[in-house]
Amino acid sequence: MSSRPRFWQYVVLILLAAVFLYPIWWALSSSFKPAADIISDPLSLSGPTLDNYRAMFADVPIGTGFANTALVLLVKGAMTMFFCPLAGYAFAKYRFPGKDLLFGLVLLTLMLPTLVLIIPLLLEMSALNWVNTYQALILPGSVDAFSIFWMRQTIAAIPDELLDAGRVDGASEFAIFARVVVPVIRPGLAALAVLTTMNIYNDFVWPVVAVNDEAHQTLQVVLATLAQDITANRIGADFATVWGELLAAGSIALLPLLIIFILLQRHFINGILAGSVKG
Amino acid sequence: MRKAPYLFIAPFLIVFAAFGAYPLAYAFQLSFTRWHGAGQARWVGLDNYLFLLTNPEFWESLANSAVMWLLVVPVQIVAGLAAAVLLANARLKLKSFFRVAFIAPFVTPLVAMAQVWIVIFDQDYGLVNYVLNADIGWLTSTTWSKPTLALLFLWKTTGFAIIILLAGLQAVPAQVYEAAALDGASRSRQFWSITMPLVRRSIAFLVVIQTLAVFQMFAEPFVVTEGGPYGSTTTAGLYLYDHILASDLGTGAANSFLLVLLVFVLSVVSVRLLRAKDE
Repeated sequence: MSSRPRFWQYVVLILLAAVFLYPIWWALSSSFKPAADIISDPLSLSGPTLDNYRAMFADVPIGTGFANTALVLLVKGAMTMFFCPLAGYAFAKYRFPGKDLLFGLVLLTLMLPTLVLIIPLLLEMSALNWVNTYQALILPGSVDAFSIFWMRQTIAAIPDELLDAGRVDGASEFAIFARVVVPVIRPGLAALAVLTTMNIYNDFVWPVVAVNDEAHQTLQVVLATLAQDITANRIGADFATVWGELLAAGSIALLPLLIIFILLQRHFINGILAGSVKG
Repeated sequence: MRKAPYLFIAPFLIVFAAFGAYPLAYAFQLSFTRWHGAGQARWVGLDNYLFLLTNPEFWESLANSAVMWLLVVPVQIVAGLAAAVLLANARLKLKSFFRVAFIAPFVTPLVAMAQVWIVIFDQDYGLVNYVLNADIGWLTSTTWSKPTLALLFLWKTTGFAIIILLAGLQAVPAQVYEAAALDGASRSRQFWSITMPLVRRSIAFLVVIQTLAVFQMFAEPFVVTEGGPYGSTTTAGLYLYDHILASDLGTGAANSFLLVLLVFVLSVVSVRLLRAKDE
């Protein structure tokens, strides 16, 4: 059906791509400019200098933020990557009493806005003495409904004969999952890994509520307090310096995910494409 | 064999019971009490709900979110669909570049980009006013504060919308268009009679998740404008957080349930509207 794309269509797409990419490029390139130039001449390139980064590392505990985010990402991500496909497998390939009810629960959780749970969860954390702890950052929201739902859709597409062949060999139910299911759904798992990493890395509402001491702040929370410092410094003499630090912090925060995404982009986009058609 | 599926689902059930069902039930009970985080909670019946429903600030927060919704969702669907139609062309070159460029903002951390927004849209030293040679208060005037935040939301999520719509478009077999073209159907006729009915599911999906997201919008106003100027960007999500800050937890819980109800009704209505023309 496809006719050759017209020239104006390319123009439109390239303009759109520029709109999407320019703010990222501007933040990255400006973070390497001398701070004063960011304000006096925002369009052209100058430098490069690492001054903004040096000042930022000296001023804010961004290293702590990175370490905390890495820890949460590792544990919470591992839980998601292990338990969600397993639960999705149970919902996709077994018949058992109460299945519909339990899957209904998953769907219900899927609809539930995070904001409803914020207040009671916060109270629960203080009752458990978990405010300002890693478990408060890790446990709520782990083994999430979306990942289970998505994995169920992916695993449902596997033919039953493949699983039955494993059963004949006398393998345990878990061994069938590990040796037959996991290798088949590897592309879906890659997409899940990107999405999970993204969600945990960028999570903001819960960490900002659950943690208020510097030692447990995640990267996003550190970044957010930095923003408030900026507003406080609005009329300060070193306005430019603060902006330089802000862009340096932002650039450092966005680079790791951008790199992971670019490396895994095909899995990720195909994962979304496949998942949403079935969903 | 019998026990296996239950074991596989158990981790989800444990996490859901502890950090989903329990806090939800607790919040529901809390919404009928007056409690400030310490001492004895006092049963007040529907007072919290009545207080909110007669409170202009509550309605203002909903109105702010409604305006934000209008600025975001229709624009995103129309622009996203247009871009997806261009991208769906099988003979388009640079296709994977465009896909990566469009979705890159989606993987950037919201807090970092929110800060870049502060810098770019600053009235005195920002890039945008510099380029336009203007003196517009993008973040400091009530006229522009909402559109500027809406633009951040659009910038960040439209690429994702494009991929979802693209998935819907690609589910249309090419032969359908060929047959239509043979029957003499014009380009626009093909779009309205074939493409639209088939992507309607993707659109419905997007409208529902973006409605949820817009009414829960929190990090954007929290970081960029702190709800100002003059409360013009105090979204429903941010207003909810005000109750937490004020330790007015009963009212906060009631507010979250009103919000859930609203979002639920909006989702159902939009799905109905989009389905209306189907059969």
